[in-house]
Amino acid sequence: MTIQLDKMIPLPMLEQDTTGSGIWEIESVRFEQGKTYIIEAASGRGKTSLLSVIYGIRKDYRGKVYLDHNDINDFTWRDWSLLRKEKLSFIFQGLELFDNLTALENIQLKNSISNHQSPQKIEEMAERLGLAEFLQRKAGILSFGQQQRVAILRALCQPFDYLLADECFSHIDRENSLKAYQVIREECESQKAGLILTSLNGTDLLEAHVRMKL
Amino acid sequence: MRYLYSILWKDHSRTHLLWAFLGTTAGFVLLLAGIQFYLDIKSVLSQNQDLMDPEYIVINKKVNIGQTLGLVMAGFSPEEIEEIASQPFADQVAPFLSNNFPVSGYTENERFPDFYTDLFFEAIPDEYIDVKSEDWNWSPESGNIPIIIPQDYLNLYNFGFAPSQGLPQIPKGVISMININIRLKGQGRGNYDDYPGRIVGFSNRIHSILVPHDFLIWANEKYGYFKKTDPSQVILVSKDPTDPAIIKFLEEKGYDTIREKLKSSRMNIILKFIISFLVVIASIIIALAFLVFLLSLQLMISRSSEKIRRLNKLGYHYREISRPYVVLLLILMVGVTGLSLLITSILTRQFSSMAGEWSLDISSSLYGIIYGTALGLITLIFFSNVVAILVSTKKLCK
Repeated sequence: MTIQLDKMIPLPMLEQDTTGSGIWEIESVRFEQGKTYIIEAASGRGKTSLLSVIYGIRKDYRGKVYLDHNDINDFTWRDWSLLRKEKLSFIFQGLELFDNLTALENIQLKNSISNHQSPQKIEEMAERLGLAEFLQRKAGILSFGQQQRVAILRALCQPFDYLLADECFSHIDRENSLKAYQVIREECESQKAGLILTSLNGTDLLEAHVRMKL
Repeated sequence: MRYLYSILWKDHSRTHLLWAFLGTTAGFVLLLAGIQFYLDIKSVLSQNQDLMDPEYIVINKKVNIGQTLGLVMAGFSPEEIEEIASQPFADQVAPFLSNNFPVSGYTENERFPDFYTDLFFEAIPDEYIDVKSEDWNWSPESGNIPIIIPQDYLNLYNFGFAPSQGLPQIPKGVISMININIRLKGQGRGNYDDYPGRIVGFSNRIHSILVPHDFLIWANEKYGYFKKTDPSQVILVSKDPTDPAIIKFLEEKGYDTIREKLKSSRMNIILKFIISFLVVIASIIIALAFLVFLLSLQLMISRSSEKIRRLNKLGYHYREISRPYVVLLLILMVGVTGLSLLITSILTRQFSSMAGEWSLDISSSLYGIIYGTALGLITLIFFSNVVAILVSTKKLCK
């Protein structure tokens, strides 16, 4: 799947100075499946907005967004539901975990839709993310950093063409971030998927095909 | 999917749903039991009617002061008779024929005290008369005039008049043996004839002194000289005397009848009134309960709105998100239907055994229409709630 943005800009960005932006000032931006994109920008430059528009949870934008040459404006409820189940995965900045469910149940909530990952695989990934001992705990009592890793693991438990990761290492230390990035990259590679990762800073250690500034 | 249920069912308000459940059940029981009992009583009424066959209803105009003063005609005009005959409840209608010449009767018998009285006669075709007697025939040649009087007249004499005056009571058979001379007077002095007359029967149906129809036609022809008047009574045959339209019609027109005869019609009206009252109450209860259901589910959805948005972000279609609510609703609806049918059938059985003691034959099982009504209503409530659920979850999704 390709993602193409034609002069797309979220409406709130119109009121800001976007000079020098690698996306908002560009005529047409194209993302290709299988490649890793890292978008770095300061707060309020529209990182979350960009990903949200692509994911269909923000509709206030100007311009066009195409997924595989289809205008996302024409998508139905069903289309979006299928896309989010099988083509697009999102690691939300706000995590969107259910506090009353355990970490594992949160993960299963996603995984049970398509049974994408086996229980062994989930355990293995949890181990690598340093989550193994927290899987049975309620998500609400985990630290934000732990929750963030639960959200990462959940996002990997579905088939996808693109993984949209919104500041997903913001509360994880450098060492664990690198481990987590490794897990993400492996899953993307095994799915031949693209990765669009946004971050405030400190991404220089993360490997990527394309780096952009907003 | 099971996670969806445990996430979304958490936010229900048990009290709201319980009250909605109980309220709907109560409304349903009231409505279903009302319909069941209405049908029961209706069938009892029409069963009783079968015993009596079609009802013969004698109608007259209410007597008022206008008639006393001779300002208003007390009789039925041909148009009015036509109107009565055209009513859907009227199967047959016949006006009473009365004598338009003076009639008197007297006895000459050494075994009974003599008496003399002025009389009147009325006649209707034979098929309306409840007395079947071989003696009930007349021909100009035989001259014998058979007479039918109301059973009540004899009772009045035997149980009222005779004991108080020290007179003997007279059995029916003896009365029939008394020869009565009937004097029919034409216009002019000395223009009269005496005929032998005899009481041949006693009617429970018609409160009048009846003679054969043929005879009265003949006699009116021969002796009659009064100005012709409209018949003051009309007999009406109705196959369904329970029809409340009869009473309504009579009241609208200011006609009168022996009320007893129309007891079932009157009962039907009262019954219908009670039942419609019950139905209105039941409908209000059901409507309120429906609203409580609607509001409880909406409340549940709005309490879960964050969760619903989150699930939507994770890729759940709003229809999938609605499913736990629909399933909950379905469970409650099935519960309401089951419970209210159960209670109604228990009530029915109780009612039936109670009615059995009064020797009324009432069905102890529910009528088919009861199941139909319950099913229809519950489906209506269910689907309108499903629509409301879908609309409100959709609103939360993107």
